[in-house]
Amino acid sequence: MANFKKQFLLYTPGITEKITFRDEEFEKLGSKLKAEVNSIFGRSLAIRELDSGSDNAAEIEMNNLATPYYDVERFGITFVASPRHADVLAITGAVTHNMEIAVRKTYAAMPSPKFVIAIGDDACNGGIFAGTYAVNGGADKIIPVDLKIPGNPPSPLEIIRALHGFMTVLSHRKTKHQS
Amino acid sequence: MKQVVDINRIFEENSAAARNRNCAVNYVSVPEDDFNDALANISGKNVVLISLFCVEDFNNHPGFSLLYVLEKRNYSNIVIVTRRLEQPSAGSVASLFPSACWFEREITDGFGVTFPDAFDKRRLFLYEVYPEGFHPLRKDFRNQPVVTRETIPVDSEYVFKKVTGEGVYQIPVGPVHAGIIEPGHFRFSVIGETIFNLEIRMFYKHRGIEKLAEGKTPQQAVCIAESISGDETAANAVAFCMAVENTGKIEIPKRALQLRTILLEIERIYSHLGDMAGMIIDVAFTKGASPFYVLREEILRMNNILTGSRFMKGIICPGGLTKDIPPKAIIELSKYLEDFTTRLKSATDSIYATSSVIDRLETTGVIKKELVNLLNITGPAARASGVAIDTRFDRSYGIYGDISAQFHKRIAEKGDVLDRFNVKAAEINDSVMLIHYLISRLDKGEICTGMEIKDGYSLSLVEAPRGQNLHWVNIKDGRIDRYKVRTASFCNWQAIEHAVLGNIVPDFPLINKSLNLSYAGTDL
Repeated sequence: MANFKKQFLLYTPGITEKITFRDEEFEKLGSKLKAEVNSIFGRSLAIRELDSGSDNAAEIEMNNLATPYYDVERFGITFVASPRHADVLAITGAVTHNMEIAVRKTYAAMPSPKFVIAIGDDACNGGIFAGTYAVNGGADKIIPVDLKIPGNPPSPLEIIRALHGFMTVLSHRKTKHQS
Repeated sequence: MKQVVDINRIFEENSAAARNRNCAVNYVSVPEDDFNDALANISGKNVVLISLFCVEDFNNHPGFSLLYVLEKRNYSNIVIVTRRLEQPSAGSVASLFPSACWFEREITDGFGVTFPDAFDKRRLFLYEVYPEGFHPLRKDFRNQPVVTRETIPVDSEYVFKKVTGEGVYQIPVGPVHAGIIEPGHFRFSVIGETIFNLEIRMFYKHRGIEKLAEGKTPQQAVCIAESISGDETAANAVAFCMAVENTGKIEIPKRALQLRTILLEIERIYSHLGDMAGMIIDVAFTKGASPFYVLREEILRMNNILTGSRFMKGIICPGGLTKDIPPKAIIELSKYLEDFTTRLKSATDSIYATSSVIDRLETTGVIKKELVNLLNITGPAARASGVAIDTRFDRSYGIYGDISAQFHKRIAEKGDVLDRFNVKAAEINDSVMLIHYLISRLDKGEICTGMEIKDGYSLSLVEAPRGQNLHWVNIKDGRIDRYKVRTASFCNWQAIEHAVLGNIVPDFPLINKSLNLSYAGTDL
């Protein structure tokens, strides 16, 4: 038996290093979020990120959600490459005139039901660019927005916290609809 | 022979006096008749056009003035040639200085100043949706929402260069890309898998940064400088504040300078870490990229401890800093960085030990040394191609003059993706060492000088993680009259069109990451 194990050692599944650095609050939120994603979105929430003119800090934080510290794929959240695969459009930036057509097309390419989340002050209301020549001043000027997450930019924890809140609202909506 | 202004002599005569100063600028006015000759005389002689911009109502000239910012390698001073225009039109210098191409198109959009003999007269940052005759940087336009065009006339459509021939096809990519990245359009002309031509179209994110700053006090405008590019917050805030401080000839307390330098170097660390992770992700080696992401996240958290913002927003202000960094946070930083170099080494070692990764990085995306001066390629991209330029040494600012003996420029010769990876890894270690050095000698005392804003104009240059950033501020009646920003990304984007030639399409993302270009910082 021992020989057998030795012989097939190469084929036993590898053990990943134990990660010691995760935060308690994030983990708690994550497991709640996972349960919510399971029941509302059938176990997977597909997010398409769209930059409509941010300062790129929000993109870095969105990217961070997929890196080892956060790794939101554990909770059923994936960032998808096409709007056609997305449940949620996460939009950053105040929607520049140069990006307006691309924003409309990206939204139109999503299958229904679809949701839009504005991430960062610029996407929420235009931020410091509100009322200037180059921007529309917030994502809701161009497409319907379901949730706004303010911040310059919001941190990964704040984004997850807001997503959890959003799921709570959706699940209320769902129960109401069913009853 | 007609005697024209000898720009080269201005470099020769004033360089010695300018040593160890960030921006000792010699402004020189060249009459319109001599202009082309004066510039032709210095073209190709190690003189680089690092910026070209337009100012309205500058130095008692009510119309438009064009400012040509020239740098000569190994000379300490900067020469700005001012060209006073009688009408909104001028001759192009793009054939003498290729870096002028985008600058001139930028000026045409912003001010309506045309360059009839330019080889590329297409719009740059104003897309077709903006109406004809709209020039936002003119003084007669008050910053307010504009009515964009519903339909775009056929003759206003943007035309990409067409490559034709047997087997040539085009791949249009973007503005919306597959990953979580900023928007931009790439038009590849491809034969088989090999890239034959690439044309990039940027400026999707044009937010009107320069106009937005006009009419604001310098204090109000810091947050605008910070939002040029989120991951270059400290570099741009420091550059902007330096320009303002130069104008008023303000002395900054030593502690503020030291803390600013610490923040600038931290920014370099996390920016380079992001690039290195990105390069490894783009060759699909997620496991190898993870340690870099872990380190970057820890630095972002450290930023939060030090400044209250993961991107160090809101701490830098004209005169110094808005708040001090508590000693406890400094100790924490010092402690955290103790084993940083070791951890980074184990991350890079795992990359170097993986031959399939090195195979992808080596000989990929070469930037030829000859292009560096022509296109004003800057930062790690230039250094990896064997050009020893680094604003921290060449035009030392803050306290870099005092600490430059502690480290040296990181140069590589081949100019491929691997060289850029190596240069960045080495620079991270330098930054860690510098931060330790600064912490051990940190002064006590004030962190901000109460400053009176004085009218005037000034240039500042800062070595951001991506390369040299240029800021020029003109203050009138205590408020910003004109703010010009030229980031490293603006210049280095043009390098990518050359770096990808002869490479295969799947290597494009990798080459792109190795240059780490900010779209926001380019589009302004």
